Amino acid sequence: MIISVASGKGGTGKTTVATALALSVGYCQFMDYDVEAPNSSFFLKPYIKHTQKVTIKQPYFLTETGEDFSKCAEFCNYNALAVLKDDVIFFPELCHGCGGCMLVGPDGAVREKDVEVGEVKKGVTSPNIDYYMGDLKPGSMRTVSVQSALDKAIIPRELVIIDCPPGTSCPMVFSVKDCDYCILVTEPTPYGLNDLKLSIDVLEKMGKPFGVVINRDGIGDDEVEKYCIKNGVKILAKIPNDKEIAKYYSIGESLVEYDKNWKQKFENILKEIEKDLVV
Amino acid sequence: MKVAISSSGTTLQSNVDPRFGRCPYYIIYDTETDNFEHAENKSSQAMGGAGIQTGQLIEKYGAKAVITGNVGPNAFRVLSSASIKVYSGVSGKVNDAIKKLKEGKLTETSAPDVGSHFGMGQK
Amino acid sequence: MKQMTIISGKGGTGKTTVASNFIKLANDHIAVDCDVDAANLHILLEPKIIKEEEFTGGAIATVTGECINCGKCEEACRFKAISDSETGIKINPIRCEGCGVCVYLCPANALELKPDRQGSSYVSETKFCTLVHARLNPGAENSGLLITRIRNTAEDIANDKDLKLIIIDGAPGIGCPVISSLNGVDATLIVTEPTLSAISDFKKVYEVAKIFDIKVFVCVNKFDLNLENTKEIEDFCKSNNIKLIGKILYDDKVSIYLSQKKFIVDCSESEAAIEIKNMWENIKGYLYGR
Repeated sequence: MIISVASGKGGTGKTTVATALALSVGYCQFMDYDVEAPNSSFFLKPYIKHTQKVTIKQPYFLTETGEDFSKCAEFCNYNALAVLKDDVIFFPELCHGCGGCMLVGPDGAVREKDVEVGEVKKGVTSPNIDYYMGDLKPGSMRTVSVQSALDKAIIPRELVIIDCPPGTSCPMVFSVKDCDYCILVTEPTPYGLNDLKLSIDVLEKMGKPFGVVINRDGIGDDEVEKYCIKNGVKILAKIPNDKEIAKYYSIGESLVEYDKNWKQKFENILKEIEKDLVV
Repeated sequence: MKVAISSSGTTLQSNVDPRFGRCPYYIIYDTETDNFEHAENKSSQAMGGAGIQTGQLIEKYGAKAVITGNVGPNAFRVLSSASIKVYSGVSGKVNDAIKKLKEGKLTETSAPDVGSHFGMGQK
Repeated sequence: MKQMTIISGKGGTGKTTVASNFIKLANDHIAVDCDVDAANLHILLEPKIIKEEEFTGGAIATVTGECINCGKCEEACRFKAISDSETGIKINPIRCEGCGVCVYLCPANALELKPDRQGSSYVSETKFCTLVHARLNPGAENSGLLITRIRNTAEDIANDKDLKLIIIDGAPGIGCPVISSLNGVDATLIVTEPTLSAISDFKKVYEVAKIFDIKVFVCVNKFDLNLENTKEIEDFCKSNNIKLIGKILYDDKVSIYLSQKKFIVDCSESEAAIEIKNMWENIKGYLYGR
């Protein structure tokens, strides 16, 4: 079973919930798909066993052949290639690695090589968690390429918990596309409610079942709760606003470390989700 | 010599547009014959690398210099490779800019103005 | 005219709260909400939309002819966006990156690249100033193009109305959208908090900001949550010559006021309000000066 933990708004507590769930259940595959800024390792403290480079194929041009590469520049929808009278300039940060220029260009004069866009780190942490983290190379746009590398490592027969990037655009959609269930974490404020509605819109369009965790309950109002009740959205848990919890968070200590009762609560959340999926 | 000026309109009374890659038009002015034409800048709709595309366009028009507001590092690289002089930081009307160029009052830019946007287009 | 972008790296540090309150305190200005993925500025500013424009960015491969099931496109697609079925190939819009390789290769000319309606941009009026904002459709590619578009719109309006300041609520994270939020501005204010996650993202986003030749200001929100971590941020600022313009106390009144759709700077008993007002006094000299 794959559970994605997402949120429209950043900073609501996705990683808090995802890591607490993993530590409570104890036996799972944990994947950090927030490859631009992965933070789960602060809380899970994994022992990294293996780092694998993530690469895409990018072209290089044999300009010494004197061939004309104009068709390549015309083909490229990302403007990653400038073909001038006396020069060919390639911009790797714009290239998606589609291979099109090799197809349309002069035979043999466009070759490809592997270019690193990030890494996937693989490790373990107690009690029995297989940990995977994607890390995008700063300056690269290939978030999806690193996430795709994580996709390959998923073993769906186990419990898989995916810590998603915030928002509702491409990187988030990529992180929930294969999930069986999505936990949406939000805060009880107008910002939280606004962004929760956006996330729900995405999940409904994708046909994904979901439930809500309200974090920092008490800091705002009850509009999020009222919205969920009115729209038949299950509230899986409410984590209270507690400066002590925040202090624990600030030094990378999990909710479960702060209060051992949460272990049971998260185990119950998992049971609820399993029940929902059977129905 | 042909010079390309980023422009918000199609005439010499138009304003110099501050955006090299995403301006709506280019005025291509021949300083010897005082003839000019305008070109629609299709790059303005590009997802990324607008300046890179515009740079190639300017070379194809045979321009040897560019007058504009801001040029990013990717576009600047393309223009330098094509040996096209860059006069950036220019604003006001197109015809005033051309006059200043003819009078030698414009300074050539030696480095790009705006930080690398990883090629996602100029301001 | 100056431009300032407020960013955070990590979400949830208080970027939009600070931005909203600065917008209330400022004058001769225009605001831009560059968090087009999950825009929040409108919640406090309550804009009235006066202009809406469709945003079409990128393209998606679409089957427009008769597929002969040769499989060439599926084999060539580097993004795993094509799968086959009995009725011909299917294109997954989530994975398709609009490269055009499948269109080029199709022997039956059954494929076309169609522009992808990705969202909308808006120009609105608020009690304090004009607001330029946008909404990116769910699942759309947030490439920074939409952000560049709304920033250009704001600059045009600011030039027309002879305004002195553009306040930009920047995109969260460290990727392309942040870069589009920072490109060509005069200053950036990084709003961070003293947690391990936020500090890690603060340093990353600072690296991004450094690439641009802009003035960097920092403020630490909820600083009393962890004084040791706050000191780490202070030391980092000192050794990198970054101006720390404020340290905001953890103040529950901030979210209470937000829930009531009120600006915290209107609360006379709030420590956070006093600090945000001080921060504005510190920074406005630079923003409105020469």
